[in-house]
Amino acid sequence: MTYRILCVDPDEGDRTEAVERLREELADLDPVFQTADDLASATEALTQHTAVVVTEYDLPDGNGFQVIEQANERCPDAGVILYTDTDPDLIDTAELRGAVTEYVGKDSVFGTERLAELVRTTVEERTQSSYPLPQTEDERLAALHSYDLDEPALLDSLDRITDLAAEHFDVEQASINIISEHSQDFLACYGRAEQWESMDREDSICTFTILEEDNVMTVPDVTEDPRFESRSETLIEMGIRSYMGANLVAPSGLVIGPLCVYDTEPRSFSAADEAYLQKLAATAMDLIDLHGRLDATTEGKG
Amino acid sequence: MSHEQTGYEFGELPIDPIEPGTSVFVAGPALSPAEDLARSMVAHGTSSGEGALFISTNMTCKTLLQSCERSDPGVDATRMGIIDCSGQDIGNAQLDAEVKYVSTQSDLTGIGMKFSALYESLYPAVRDGRVRTGLISLSSLSMYVDMRALFQFVQTLSGRIDSADGLGVFAIDPTTHDTKTVNTLSQAADGRIEVREPEEGDDEGELRVRGLPNQPNGWQSFTLA
Repeated sequence: MTYRILCVDPDEGDRTEAVERLREELADLDPVFQTADDLASATEALTQHTAVVVTEYDLPDGNGFQVIEQANERCPDAGVILYTDTDPDLIDTAELRGAVTEYVGKDSVFGTERLAELVRTTVEERTQSSYPLPQTEDERLAALHSYDLDEPALLDSLDRITDLAAEHFDVEQASINIISEHSQDFLACYGRAEQWESMDREDSICTFTILEEDNVMTVPDVTEDPRFESRSETLIEMGIRSYMGANLVAPSGLVIGPLCVYDTEPRSFSAADEAYLQKLAATAMDLIDLHGRLDATTEGKG
Repeated sequence: MSHEQTGYEFGELPIDPIEPGTSVFVAGPALSPAEDLARSMVAHGTSSGEGALFISTNMTCKTLLQSCERSDPGVDATRMGIIDCSGQDIGNAQLDAEVKYVSTQSDLTGIGMKFSALYESLYPAVRDGRVRTGLISLSSLSMYVDMRALFQFVQTLSGRIDSADGLGVFAIDPTTHDTKTVNTLSQAADGRIEVREPEEGDDEGELRVRGLPNQPNGWQSFTLA
C-alpha cells in the first residue's frame, strides 16, 4: 500500500525540513510526498488516495482549516494534522468545530519526531476515520483483492441473486456491495440501485454491517439510528429508509461485503428474513469463490 | 516515547496494572460511582510523578480538582492539566493545575487542539513522559455532537494516547445511549470497566474489567478514599 502525504507550508525551509524528517522517520512505510505552499495548490493536490495532510495554519490565500475542509470533502478518510507556529489559544476553532484535527506545535519539545509518530499512527491505525474498522481489516482487504470481480459471467450470476432478493422481500432496490479501503462499490444491483455509483465508505451503511459478529444487520429506520441519522437525508433520497444486509463471508472467514435489500419505508425484518438473506449471501459468496477457483484451474491448464 | 514502560498502577483499587498505550471505557449509570472511579484512576498517578490530563465536560476545573483531592489527598495538582468545557466562568481562580477553556462542548476541534497542546506541555514535566488522560464524560459530549463525530473524536484521542504510551480513561453512562451507540463507541477503546452500586455492604461500588489481559475475574468491591 502506498501512503500519500501532503505537506502544506508557505515557508519553503520549514516545508522541506518537515518532508525530509518524515521521509527519514517513516522510511519503512516508503510514503509518497506531495508539497504545497498555499490553499489553492493544496486543494489541487488532494485526491481520494491522500492518506495524511500536514498543514501550517497561516497560508497566503487562506488558512489550514480551509485545507482541512477541502480534505474532508475530497478524501474523507485522510488524517489531518495542524503543524504550526500559531498558538492554539489564538486560533478560532468555531469555524471547524465539528471536525477533528491533530495539533503539533512546531516549537514542540518533540519536534518532528512527534509529528512522525502521529503520521505513522494516523496512516497505520486510521485513527481519524469516522467509522470503526474490523480488527482484521488488512487481511480482509487482501481477501477481497484476491478475487477477480470484473468477470461478466460472474456479474450476471450475482445480478440474478439481487433479483431474487428484491422479489422475495418485495423491495425496489437490492445490491451486492464490496467494501474497499476507502469506498463502497456496487457489484450487482437491482432496480434504481443500478444507477448508483461508488460512494465514500464513511457514508455507507454496509461499512457497519461488515463488523457484525452474526454477519447480518438490520436498520428499521435510518432516521432513528444514531449511526446514520446525520446522513439520513442523502440515504432517503437514494430510496433507503430501511435496510437489511447479510455478509458475504469468504472461506477464510473474512468478509468482502454484504448483500443488501432497501425499502423506501420504515420496516422491521424478522429472524426468518435475516436467515433467508444470509442464505442468498452465502450462495453469492460460493459463486464468487468458485469462479475464482475455476479461473485458477483454467490458467493452470493454459 | 517508544521505550519499554511498566503498566499504569491504581493503588488500592482492584485493577491490576494496565499496559501503556491502552484506552478503557469506565461505564456506569448516573448514580453509580463510575465518574468518581474514572477521576481517581487518572489522578492517582500524580502522587508518583505521572501527569494527569482531564477533559472535563460537566465540572469546572475548580470542582474537578476538589473532587480529585477529596478522593485522594496525595494528588499533586502541579502535574495536572484540565480542559474545562463546562462553559462556566470561574473568574481568576488561582489553581496549581494548567487550565485551558473551551466555551462549548460542541467545539471538538478546540478540545482536540487544546488537548494536544496540554499533552505536549505536560509530557516533558512528568516521570518518563507518563500521562493519564480522563474524558469525563462521553455521555455529556454526546448531547452536543452526533455519534459519528464523537466516535471520530474518541478514536483520534485513543490513537494519540496509544502513540504516546499514555493511558486513556473515558467515562460513559450506558443507560443514556442505545446499544448501537455504546457498541460503536466501544470500538475506539481497548477494554471496558463496568461499574455498579454494591448489592450490600459499605463499599462504594463494584467494578468488573472486560477486554483487558491479566485482570481479576468477576465483580470486585472497591472504595474510594
